[in-house]
Amino acid sequence: MKTILVSLAWKNIWRNKLRSGMILGAIAVGLFAGTFMTAFMSGWISRSVESDIRNHLSYIRIHHPDFDANNDINAFFMQEDVRSHIASVSEITGSSYRLELSGMLASAANAVGVAVKGVDVADEKGVFLLYQTIPDTCGSFFPDDGRMQIVISRKTAEKLKVRLRSKLVLTFQDTEGEIQNVAFRVGGIFKTSNTSFDEGCVLVRKSDILPYTGLPAGAAHEVSLMTSGFETCRSALPRLQTLLPGMDVQSWDVLQPELGLMFRWIDLMNGVILAIFLAALSFGIVNTMLMAVLERTRELGMLACIGMSRKRIFRMIMLETLFLTGLGSCIGILLGLVVTGYTARNGIDLTFMLEDQFEDFGFGSIVYPVMQLKTFAGIVTLVILTGLLSAIYPARKALKLEPLDSIRY
Amino acid sequence: MSSFIIETKDLYKIYKDQASEVHAVDGVSLCIAQGEFTAIVGPSGSGKTTLLNLIGGLDTPTAGSLCIDGEDISRLSSRELIDFRLHHIGFIFQSYNLIPVLTAKENVSFIMDLQGRKRRDADSRSMELLDAVGLGDRADSRPAKLSGGQQQRVAVARALASKPRFILADEPTANLDSKSAANLLDMMERLNKQEHTTFLFSTHDPRIMAKARRIITLEDGRIVNDIVKEG
Repeated sequence: MKTILVSLAWKNIWRNKLRSGMILGAIAVGLFAGTFMTAFMSGWISRSVESDIRNHLSYIRIHHPDFDANNDINAFFMQEDVRSHIASVSEITGSSYRLELSGMLASAANAVGVAVKGVDVADEKGVFLLYQTIPDTCGSFFPDDGRMQIVISRKTAEKLKVRLRSKLVLTFQDTEGEIQNVAFRVGGIFKTSNTSFDEGCVLVRKSDILPYTGLPAGAAHEVSLMTSGFETCRSALPRLQTLLPGMDVQSWDVLQPELGLMFRWIDLMNGVILAIFLAALSFGIVNTMLMAVLERTRELGMLACIGMSRKRIFRMIMLETLFLTGLGSCIGILLGLVVTGYTARNGIDLTFMLEDQFEDFGFGSIVYPVMQLKTFAGIVTLVILTGLLSAIYPARKALKLEPLDSIRY
Repeated sequence: MSSFIIETKDLYKIYKDQASEVHAVDGVSLCIAQGEFTAIVGPSGSGKTTLLNLIGGLDTPTAGSLCIDGEDISRLSSRELIDFRLHHIGFIFQSYNLIPVLTAKENVSFIMDLQGRKRRDADSRSMELLDAVGLGDRADSRPAKLSGGQQQRVAVARALASKPRFILADEPTANLDSKSAANLLDMMERLNKQEHTTFLFSTHDPRIMAKARRIITLEDGRIVNDIVKEG
């Protein structure tokens, strides 16, 4: 019986090919748009967040508990005290111990306030990809020529009106509160997709700056840790917090809460927009199925007359609606996944709209859409819910038909 | 237990509105035995179709008893009535009422699927019945590809498919030309004689009246004549 009911429901949706085709098209286009838009937004946001993490933020960062927003130079810890604990956490794929100072960077033309990162070049390259954002024509990430090098952003270079190999003077307070002036040459000029980071951050070799700070050898203000992704970050974090109870062990979304909020916000918005799409589609589905039921009043009456139970009639109409919704959704989602797959490889260049102004807000100008399994599961769940909810009303309408009245219809 | 397939006693169907009462069936007592080929005739509004609907379990009587195979179906719930119709009664409608998306064979086997019969049994019986109504070669045709007469033949095959105790046919020839109607009636008469299937018609058609071996005449919901032909 189940087979004939399924077969009959399937055949019934093709009675009026034009009408079914129209609603299938509407569902497919709606779901394609919903799927692709979700992937686009997720890709845009996650790429921006990942870019921030890979360029300067890292997944997890450990500070001395007294190291606060003022970047207190005396709130340091010794690398030896934490190294073995970090090494015991298998999810950690790289670590960079850094000094962090606040200072003033001055050229002959101008001066800007900056956050200075004192880094070990090899460790830094093992954690961050900032060195890859230096174009070939703009130097490199600390060329090994023995000079005191500083790596600055293009924005900073523009503000200070300096070029590669220009001389800059960094002024900061050492551990005793004494003002130190250290001269550097511009060794590399980077450019990330995050303007606010670019404007505020410069890098120098830890070995170059350490003698001027008054800090002991092996001291660090922070250690930035890399994992293979968000999931491994989530599993490594509590273990590190347990292993290092006297330290501030923070994940990327705590260090920059606006990024975590953006992630959650986009998830929410994607869900809301998709739900609105599906709600609008469900009106179309209900309308189509209601027409199909009313057109077949006599036939449904005949089926009841010859002995088809109301339950079976209800099930048949439910199946028809689910077939219609399911088929249209499959086409739309599949199309969405194909286009997402293609654009995820090739990217969508948005510079034609606002050139690189997106980068002022921390977003890349090239978007690589991404469809996460969790998002995909959410879309499928919403589609199933829409199908079921849309099916109930027409099926109930069919259920209420009286055989005798219907056969005379 | 009664020897009649259909037995009604003082059967009433009264429609009421605020102003008046209409006695569509007015105290009908009637017995139909196995193998009868009976026509219920009468002018429009005489209550033929209402009586047929009551006997078919499609409508409930206002009063009186209605026994099919000894079981009083007026006491059955609507769900039980659906099941009763599925297993005991075959229906032939004036306007064929086949399922347009199914082939002739699928239309016939559909009712057996509803009964839960095995697919192979349903298929073989469908072909057997389509052969019996002369449409074995059109088994894979959809109703739209068949003439009115052929569609009604499929409807007869469908009505017989569930192996019902009797078949109710409401104006089965009304939409057919005279040749198709004659062929259909010949076929139903043959099935009646060969398989001893009971047929109960509601009709105005003199061709059915000519073939029927018993003619019950209704007027204003009452039986005014009940003739059993000789031979």
